[in-house]
Amino acid sequence: MKQGNTIVIDPVTRIEGHSKITLHLNDEGRVEDARFHVTQFRGFEKLCEGRPFYEMPSLMARICGICPVSHLIASAKACDSLLAVRIPPTADKLRRIFGLAQVTQSHALSLFHLSSPDLLLGMDADPAKSNIFGVAEKHPELALDGIRLRQFGQKIIERLGGKRIHPAWIVPGGVSEPLTQANRDAILETIPDALAIAERTLEWFKSTMERFREEISTFGNFPTMFMGIVKKDNGLTFYDGKLRIIDASGHVVADDLDPTNYSEYIGEKVEPWSYLKSTYYKPKGFPEGVYRVGPLARLNVADRCGTPRADQELAEFHELQRTAVLSSFHYHHARLIEILYCIERLEQLLNDPEILSKHVRAVARPNALEGVGACEAPRGTLFHHYKIDEQGLIRWVNLVIATGHNNLAMNRSVLQVAKHFVQGKRLNPGMLNRVEAVIRCYDPCLSCSTHALGQMDLQVQLISADGEVLDELTRG
Amino acid sequence: MPRFLIVAYGNPLRSDDGVAWRAAEALAAKYSEPDVEIVTVHQLGPEIADSISRAECVIFIDAATRAAAAGEVQIKEMTASAFSEPPGFCHALSPSHVLTLAAHLYRAQPRAFSVTVAGENFDHGESLSAPVRAALPELIARIDDLLAEAGLDDRR
Repeated sequence: MKQGNTIVIDPVTRIEGHSKITLHLNDEGRVEDARFHVTQFRGFEKLCEGRPFYEMPSLMARICGICPVSHLIASAKACDSLLAVRIPPTADKLRRIFGLAQVTQSHALSLFHLSSPDLLLGMDADPAKSNIFGVAEKHPELALDGIRLRQFGQKIIERLGGKRIHPAWIVPGGVSEPLTQANRDAILETIPDALAIAERTLEWFKSTMERFREEISTFGNFPTMFMGIVKKDNGLTFYDGKLRIIDASGHVVADDLDPTNYSEYIGEKVEPWSYLKSTYYKPKGFPEGVYRVGPLARLNVADRCGTPRADQELAEFHELQRTAVLSSFHYHHARLIEILYCIERLEQLLNDPEILSKHVRAVARPNALEGVGACEAPRGTLFHHYKIDEQGLIRWVNLVIATGHNNLAMNRSVLQVAKHFVQGKRLNPGMLNRVEAVIRCYDPCLSCSTHALGQMDLQVQLISADGEVLDELTRG
Repeated sequence: MPRFLIVAYGNPLRSDDGVAWRAAEALAAKYSEPDVEIVTVHQLGPEIADSISRAECVIFIDAATRAAAAGEVQIKEMTASAFSEPPGFCHALSPSHVLTLAAHLYRAQPRAFSVTVAGENFDHGESLSAPVRAALPELIARIDDLLAEAGLDDRR
């Protein structure tokens, strides 16, 4: 819809959540500003106040139907901190398996179901065909691979947690049940097929990159910092480690940061036009402290993956640019390398001699009144921070979600794409789709980041310098 | 391999939207694999097409929002939709959409039925409204009939 010199995209489609985009034009009709508005609200931080702390993992898992496991892990780690316990080694490994399975299924959803229509059918494809059905019609083998890879992750979660969505298997102090040999063997049987899918999808993706040179150069291709949790040896991890921040040149800005002290170096800014807060690196201030998280950032900050095939791919990925890899288009590529890593790492962990141990939970009463849990969710670094009273009741909660970390970068990305592709006072579907597609690169989860119930719609508005809506396109 | 697939979907935390989950619990007490596979999900995703591909008959159970009277049970035979009828969004698909994916990707075209119960209250909560709770026995009986008609009794 066009109102004055503003283009509005409302709702944004093929993302997890509800949002709109406004593009503001100057007097010459050129895009001069763009905003990605997150228009949903839920307020999980407030509704858990007064609840017993041990309910938190189950409550927090309800934030999201795509990545409940990440919330379970971060929440349980915050509760471990309240108990002041070290969980049994097998519980640690089982939680890692759970997390890796979820990253695999979430990344598969993002790539195959949400973004593959752009990559396979083209950015100018008919919007009515640009969906999983269009992919199934034109490229059924890839659609089948997407279904199988997502099922692979979902079935692991189901085998361990009892159900695919909102499992409550991860608990304060560990996990509620050990892994059975039958389930271990059944999962191991599915590894070769999943690996084969990951390998051929990665090869296909790399073969298509040449077709997207213009998008690579304009989809969030600008200098920012990158942040992610890495192991002590700077290897890729999703479960535990230290925080590392690098700049656009690839130089380390901060290393060995303790994730539990996140509030010392990460600030949160509220904007009046969005329910999604913007985080920034405090020492650089706002908005100069912009950084990105998620697959692209993790592979930029990590020196190695620690599994054979993913390490080969990571080395090739780092060759894309002498500096950090800057274009957000490469989130897709990074996502595929992470899938490969997850499957390889799952196999390693499932073959660990301790993995069938029955000792999977440490039991204690609360020993601290404040706890922080952090992990790498599919979309980036996730923090859960709780304060309790002497009775163990929650008194204060702060959640810092991956999509919030990327908010500033997403807004800049929309502006960059709009400036390049939106010409004049009329919109066409190809322009609109590219503005959406750059958002999809980040795979934002707005249900998580505003802690709201997700829908998947998009609205773009084109707004003139005097506030008139010139054009508007809506999907959903 | 189960010959019959029951897909119960909805949100059990949104009152009547969870009626299919209640029905699934009751049906699980009567039927089991290898004859009948019962799946409970919040919404239909593309992955359901894989389960459909292994079934001879599929029954979708859901709460309906637009039916005339709360508690009314309706049965409709389903067919795959055309590719020209795209889903609004690909996280949540309709029964005809997942049947289409099964037909196209797996060359599977089982008989399929949508069984719905008209809901009254879709607010937050885990309780069913009185008319929907009262309709549960009829819902189960109608599904029993569908399974028998589709040949389940032949093997029991």
